[in-house]
Amino acid sequence: MMKIYTFHVSGTHCASCKILIEDILNEQIGIQNTHVDLKNELVSVETELDNSKHELAELLTKKIKYNGYILSTEKSIQENKKDDVLRKAIPIGLVFLMLFFILQKSGILNLGIGGTITPATSFIIGLIASVSTCLAIVGGLVLSLSAKISEDNISDKRNIILFHAGRVVSFAILGGVLGAVGNAIGINFTFTAILGLVASLVMLLLGLNLVGLFTKNKIALPSGIFNFFRKIEHKTFTPLTIGFGTFFLPCGFTQAMQVVALSSGSFISGALIMLAFALGTLPMLALLSFGSASFAQSKHAPLFFKSAGVVVVGLGLFAFLAGLAGLGIINPLFNI
Amino acid sequence: MNKAVSIIITGTLIVGLGIIFFGDSKGNTNITTNGTIQNIEIKNGIQYITISAKGGYSPKITTAKADIPTKLIIKTNSTYDCSASLVIRAIGFQKILSQTGEEVIDIGTPKANEPLRGVCGMGMYNFVINFS
Repeated sequence: MMKIYTFHVSGTHCASCKILIEDILNEQIGIQNTHVDLKNELVSVETELDNSKHELAELLTKKIKYNGYILSTEKSIQENKKDDVLRKAIPIGLVFLMLFFILQKSGILNLGIGGTITPATSFIIGLIASVSTCLAIVGGLVLSLSAKISEDNISDKRNIILFHAGRVVSFAILGGVLGAVGNAIGINFTFTAILGLVASLVMLLLGLNLVGLFTKNKIALPSGIFNFFRKIEHKTFTPLTIGFGTFFLPCGFTQAMQVVALSSGSFISGALIMLAFALGTLPMLALLSFGSASFAQSKHAPLFFKSAGVVVVGLGLFAFLAGLAGLGIINPLFNI
Repeated sequence: MNKAVSIIITGTLIVGLGIIFFGDSKGNTNITTNGTIQNIEIKNGIQYITISAKGGYSPKITTAKADIPTKLIIKTNSTYDCSASLVIRAIGFQKILSQTGEEVIDIGTPKANEPLRGVCGMGMYNFVINFS
């Protein structure tokens, strides 16, 4: 005999959660027609199991707990706790932003590296680049994407590994191409600047989502869009492509190394220089992405996601305004 | 955390960030305190303006003479950061400068009150030359 139960659900922070919960619960034996009502935070299921409503809530929570959702028979009072986390997260995020910009202003990063560029020096330049203003755009993107991926699916390290692999390999290949082709092609400024603007908009969107602004005010994007994102999120080529795309993101260091690769004269030397540069940037970016994956499993996960969101929003704003200035649309507002 | 404490800390941090972004840093203009001009030289009727590019542009604000043929010299000295990728929209100049060297850019004969602005490719560094 079919019975219909309705539970209160907590942890539904995004429109894709609806699809995730429905998918997981429908896979359980004896459960059908799961329906998630995001607005009222309710989940209804049809079941032929004989368990009591309370038992069922516990049973099903076990299945979706790892994704951060909890079913209960009574509405939980979590709103106050949420605000408290945000009150801690905003200052933490701002402290990190401040340290980052102080580092930029201090001039410590303007090390003198003279002479010809060898793969060894380009590795060092990569290390410097990974904590420079380039971190605002590349690192911000990496942080927001990996935090978002870990928030949606905690055990998913595969995408992060694919992203880094895609990045390192495509830097080597593209560097090689630049070396082989030589001066025939130029790197288009407007193209990279527009790509930078797109990246900063993605950062702003994901950052606000991480902070929890979207769920709080229920400005959820149509689930069709999230369904689409969820589909491509699980394809192998998506993280690879994003890794590839970072080659073209506006970053002075990357562009300078591209020029070095251009004038290097051969496929091998161009590839080696860009490979060494990408490897130099790897430690910092790996720390950001795997760091967020491991934070996502700790009990501080909500605080981490919100703080990361504040940092990402700050970097996204910075990159967006700088990008507009770079394109000549607005006058530069600041000098870092 | 206490609400008031949190608001106070947040406010302080925002003010701090504001100072970092909009605060005056040294080496902003080409006119020193005793009135001498550092980076302009007129040779054979041509005005040369020198700006160094490394971790930003210096000086950030230059005041130069209008109505004489002017060339801009951008000096790089193992510059790998954004300031090496220079964009001057007004004259359609965009180039990734060599890491160490001098780039001479002909900016024609500038008119008064038409400042020339250069930014780096990512937009976080800039300089401006005012003509009078």
